[in-house]
Amino acid sequence: MTASTDYTAQEIIVVAGAKILENNKIVFVGTGLPMVAALLAKRTHAPGLIPVFEAGAVGPPLEVGLPISVGDSKTITGACYAKGLNAAFEMTQRGFADFDFIGGAEVDMYGNLNSTMIGDFPGGYQTPKVRLPGSGGASDMAASCERTILIVPHDKRKFSEKLQYVTSPGHLDGSPNARFKAGMQGKGPYRVITTKGIFDFEEESKRMRLIHTFPGETVESIQANTGFELLVADNVSEFTAPTQEEVRMIREDIDPNGAFVKRA
Amino acid sequence: MENNAEMYWTGLSPDEAREALVNKDKSMRDKRMSLKEAVDKFIKDGDNVGVGGFVNIRQPIAITHEMVRHGFKDLTLSWQSAGLGPDYLAGAMMVDDSHFSIKRVEIAYWAHESFGLSPMFRYLAERGKIELEDWSNYNMSARFKAGSMGLPFIPTRGPMAGDIPSSCRTKIMDCPFTGRPIALLPASNPDVAIIHVNAADKYGNCIIRGTDCTCAEIAMASARTIITCEQLVSHELITSSPKEVGIPFPAVDAVVEVPYGAYPGLCRRHYYFNGDHIRELHAAAAVMCKGEPADKLKAYYDKYIFGVESFEGFLEQFPLSKLLADQKAEAYNCERLA
Repeated sequence: MTASTDYTAQEIIVVAGAKILENNKIVFVGTGLPMVAALLAKRTHAPGLIPVFEAGAVGPPLEVGLPISVGDSKTITGACYAKGLNAAFEMTQRGFADFDFIGGAEVDMYGNLNSTMIGDFPGGYQTPKVRLPGSGGASDMAASCERTILIVPHDKRKFSEKLQYVTSPGHLDGSPNARFKAGMQGKGPYRVITTKGIFDFEEESKRMRLIHTFPGETVESIQANTGFELLVADNVSEFTAPTQEEVRMIREDIDPNGAFVKRA
Repeated sequence: MENNAEMYWTGLSPDEAREALVNKDKSMRDKRMSLKEAVDKFIKDGDNVGVGGFVNIRQPIAITHEMVRHGFKDLTLSWQSAGLGPDYLAGAMMVDDSHFSIKRVEIAYWAHESFGLSPMFRYLAERGKIELEDWSNYNMSARFKAGSMGLPFIPTRGPMAGDIPSSCRTKIMDCPFTGRPIALLPASNPDVAIIHVNAADKYGNCIIRGTDCTCAEIAMASARTIITCEQLVSHELITSSPKEVGIPFPAVDAVVEVPYGAYPGLCRRHYYFNGDHIRELHAAAAVMCKGEPADKLKAYYDKYIFGVESFEGFLEQFPLSKLLADQKAEAYNCERLA
């Protein structure tokens, strides 16, 4: 497989996301790059992957193209089951979702995610500096799916010591059994994919740990762009660049209109 | 056990919601009327309005346009995820808040997925012009479900931890059976539901295609419901498959046939998104976030909403070729023989 030489930051995120998804598992897919990654996984190593969209669609083949909303008509066509939001979220609560795949604006070392506001919480909650969309279904997925995959563009200000607002709970403060004690189900954040590398969470401390650097990045360059101290796996390795074929599939077959994967 | 924000009801309390149904005329009667009449008759200043659809899917756009022409004050809006519907209401407030105003929103998400953030939400929230209450999609859906079940609250496994529990009226308690923490969400019983569906009969029996969103729960929880439909059909046709009826007639107060009533959003089987128009509306509002006056947004409203008598006048401003192209794009999503 020939390596691509002109892949973009978003394209490597998509390829990394696809590779983390496992065949024959149910994945609750959030809007944006997770959709592209799920489609790529389905068309490569995971044809038996079962995507679920929070507006209700379960297991659509996605043969009529990339949905641009989790309620898009394209998620409904060929779906095995399609009711509404309550039915979809009840499935996650019950334990039907092996993975969820979500994005956010800001993440901390325990995989807690902010997609609500930039500003001072709680004092400035009613007058945020920047008002973001809000949880949508992300906090529900983070609380109740079995394992959470996060996508956050890598930036020192977005990888913060302390979030301005915690929308989607991850490993909370990292203390033993924190999620269980808070009443949640599921194992919480499993992987974080950024524009610079891939991270897991160390078992004891639940802290974010670098496992793969993307080509062109080093442990040092990634730490320098992270607002908290990263753990580094003993066997940290470089993630293989996307192949020309993977990049072609993203550009030509999966997101030909650049709805989520921008060309620049 | 943890007590959060002080409890208060923002729509109807469960007892008031029950009383509203007790006093309702539940007869199977012809509920067809004009949209103007429906909005005037069933929506009041200060109401809590439950908004149907999901993001830009099957949002009650024609109803929001009529609400803007009518003018309302101090509305509370409740939904899970929405885009264009509240954008149109909020934009009206940005143009002239003496004609239209929103007091409060109870929501999980206000933005547009691939079409970006909502400049209307940013403008109003960042200037402290509306009261915010953040929930999640499941929270809001479950709150409507509790309302539709005639229950005062519903237990869910979220929001737990994080900051949502301290942004809303949820109470986290120890489950009396497992001893583990569980969230209790207060029911939402809006005064009025605004919902667009695929098909309805004149009595208000509704059929929904594609995602049900949370429309049935919102309609059943609300004291009153206004329905617009793509297609008004005979009672006989609707009842030929009773299990397909998503919203039953006693929950409905007004039925208005409005083809393209969710446009420029999507309606399954009928039309796909008109992204260009969503961007045009947003461009007019976005400049206000940067401090510019309301001129561009006002021009949009004058052209598309105040300058026309009804939703047909809005649709007339799109070239037929565009309306057909959006219809064709959706036909590709659900291929059927003609």
